[in-house]
Amino acid sequence: METIVETRNLRVEYRAQDSGSGRKVAVKDLNLIVRAGEVFGFLGPNGAGKTTTMNVLLGFVNATSGAAFLFGVDVREPIARQRIGYLPELTYYYKFLTAEELLRFYARIFGIPQAQADQRIDALLKLVELDHARKRPIKTYSKGMQQRVGLAQALINNPDLLILDEPTSGLDPLGRMKVREIIQRLKNEGKTVFFSSHELGEVETVCDRVAIINQGELKVEGRVAELVEKHHANLERIFLNIIGYQTQAST
Amino acid sequence: MKKHGPYLILILLLAACFSLATVLQQRASAWTKRAQSDNVLKVLFGDGRRFFADGFFRQADVSFHSGFYPTIFDQARASQDTRHLTAKEGEPAAEEHEKQFNFLGRPRDWIERFGRHFAVTSHTHLEGKKEREILPWLKMSAELDPQKIETYTVSAYWLRDLGKVKEAEEFLREGLRNNPDSYEILFELGRLYSENYHDPARARNVWELALRRWSEQEAAGKKPDLRELDRTAVYLSHLEEKEGNLARALELLQLAKKASPTPAALQPQIDELKQRLTKRAPSIAPKTP
Amino acid sequence: MNTILALAGVVIKELYRRKDFYVLFVLTAVITLLMGSVSFFHDTGIVRYVKEIALLLIWIAALVIAIGTTARQIPAERENRTIFPLLAKPVTRGQVIVGKFAGCWLACGLALMVFYVFFGVVSGSREHYWPVLSFFQAFWLQWVMLGIVVAFVLLGSVVFAAPSSNATISFIVVLGILLLGGHLNQVALQQPEPLRSIVYGVYFLIPHLEWYDVRDLIVYDWNRVGWLDCALATLYAATYAGLLLFGAWLVFRRKPLNV
Repeated sequence: METIVETRNLRVEYRAQDSGSGRKVAVKDLNLIVRAGEVFGFLGPNGAGKTTTMNVLLGFVNATSGAAFLFGVDVREPIARQRIGYLPELTYYYKFLTAEELLRFYARIFGIPQAQADQRIDALLKLVELDHARKRPIKTYSKGMQQRVGLAQALINNPDLLILDEPTSGLDPLGRMKVREIIQRLKNEGKTVFFSSHELGEVETVCDRVAIINQGELKVEGRVAELVEKHHANLERIFLNIIGYQTQAST
Repeated sequence: MKKHGPYLILILLLAACFSLATVLQQRASAWTKRAQSDNVLKVLFGDGRRFFADGFFRQADVSFHSGFYPTIFDQARASQDTRHLTAKEGEPAAEEHEKQFNFLGRPRDWIERFGRHFAVTSHTHLEGKKEREILPWLKMSAELDPQKIETYTVSAYWLRDLGKVKEAEEFLREGLRNNPDSYEILFELGRLYSENYHDPARARNVWELALRRWSEQEAAGKKPDLRELDRTAVYLSHLEEKEGNLARALELLQLAKKASPTPAALQPQIDELKQRLTKRAPSIAPKTP
Repeated sequence: MNTILALAGVVIKELYRRKDFYVLFVLTAVITLLMGSVSFFHDTGIVRYVKEIALLLIWIAALVIAIGTTARQIPAERENRTIFPLLAKPVTRGQVIVGKFAGCWLACGLALMVFYVFFGVVSGSREHYWPVLSFFQAFWLQWVMLGIVVAFVLLGSVVFAAPSSNATISFIVVLGILLLGGHLNQVALQQPEPLRSIVYGVYFLIPHLEWYDVRDLIVYDWNRVGWLDCALATLYAATYAGLLLFGAWLVFRRKPLNV
């Protein structure tokens, strides 16, 4: 099966904010592989290194050492991002543009021909239920609507890999259901989804494989069912054990 | 009642404000005059308006030269004198100005050489009625600093030259209202009556008043401009000579000689007048000033 | 190229959807028309002061638009987090820099065109003649100069975090060059060494924006600048803008962007 996402001994270090502490290691020698067609959950507590890893994959930050690849292309090459869609956790888009103009802008960046772009924009706006508001500037949208615009722009190029950072954050239950439906639909189409989330129940439902990272290190990786069977616990319990959290009952 | 209460209070307040305004109106006009807040420019700029007035006057000079003007870096080499604004070709002030305004010199480097292609580099003066283009700047300068005498005198000179005699007189009178002791403005007014209205009586009155103002300022220790005394005395002298008052004309020329930077130039005129006086009435001795 | 034009298009949309341009244009128009309606000494034929004031206002407005629009491009993208979905696309940071430059410069050009048309109408209505080529040359030179200003501010926007500090510093530098840049050689000659060499060095290093200010030629009806000189000045501006954009790219490509 084709390797879609790969990191090899990925290491990212930052200069520490407080003086005298030297450098902080955000990601330590991470080796990760995501294959085609998988829904991959990338889990960890706050400050574990999930966002930093995503930043490297998306080219926002350079790795200190090691390498990362998307579709076998080094992430530092812009062409590596030709076949991906990205939905950030906090969705902010050009407030003075309408949803339609925003999607047209991104379609132009991908080099999608006009006619094809028109069709895709119509389809996406219907999918995310923003057809009625397509001509309104984004600054008039609610948070839920902005999140849906974000999803639409992530899908504009019909990506083979979708990178989602906390996709259901801030959404009501209906919104979350719709996101889960979209992820399932993409999976059925053979697309790969790589997402980070704190909603472990959701991850357990949707993901094929997960990786749990803590303090920059990969702690565990594997199929959800296999991990549950191996540790005789649900994903939440596995997660808490890995990060060293002991409940009162277990102490 | 509750519903209309706020509106009733509003109406009451408006009525109270209106009544107070009518009561305070007269007193307020006295306050504003003392506080100099009757003029919006004085309120906005304060004493800094003089700086802007100088700027506008300089802009008039720039306009007179069609953009060819020294910068502050060239000012040290070029003269600050603005008498060229009212000097005719051939006059000493104009010739002095021609020499002083040659501030450009050879370009020092390729940047300066290339830059001159985009700037005005010819020394010209406005002519052929185009001098009116400097008038707005002079008017704005006078609005900002009504105590800048030069603005009125230069404006009046050009207004007369452009055939706007009535406007020149109005502007000079405005200048006099703002500067009642100004002998310079009185001199220009006299010139207007003499040269444009051909009214020697009024011209004489105004020039005599100018001389009196000059003397008053000298007596008060203010060191008035000797050139103005020279000029006024010479013009009045010529007027008196034309009117046949040779004794007075001689008296004035002798006064002018004391103030003139080139007294020797006046001597032949004085001698001629003395001769004419002697021919007419040899027993009449001229009064000494 | 498509990406650069797409980025430029967004910048232009932003300019005409924000109110800045309209406010500046209305202010310029109102002041010019007000000054033009004043009668000085009952002479309605006086025109140069109107041209002078209008052109001064156009220059001020153009600089405000150029510096204000450009200073907030990259910082606003980072602050509003719109840079992340943008750079997650197949867009290089160099393309972002060039796209922003193209957008800001084209936006300035459009705004300037509107101003100059207004100026032409006002000036022509009083003088009853339209030196179209002269006006075009003045517009072109000013637009080309704004290219240097936009590139300079864009470099500042990747160096300084706050748009306000970038805008303030840029205004001071640009005004300083316009007013003093051409005279630094005179200043240098009056200084002792080593200050003389330093000032002279600065004189040769700075972009000479004052070349592009041909207002006096327009106001006082002088002959146009030679077209060859115009072309050389354009080339000079393009070179400087290119250098500044290259510097901006060098700084921006190394900047980590954390979501």
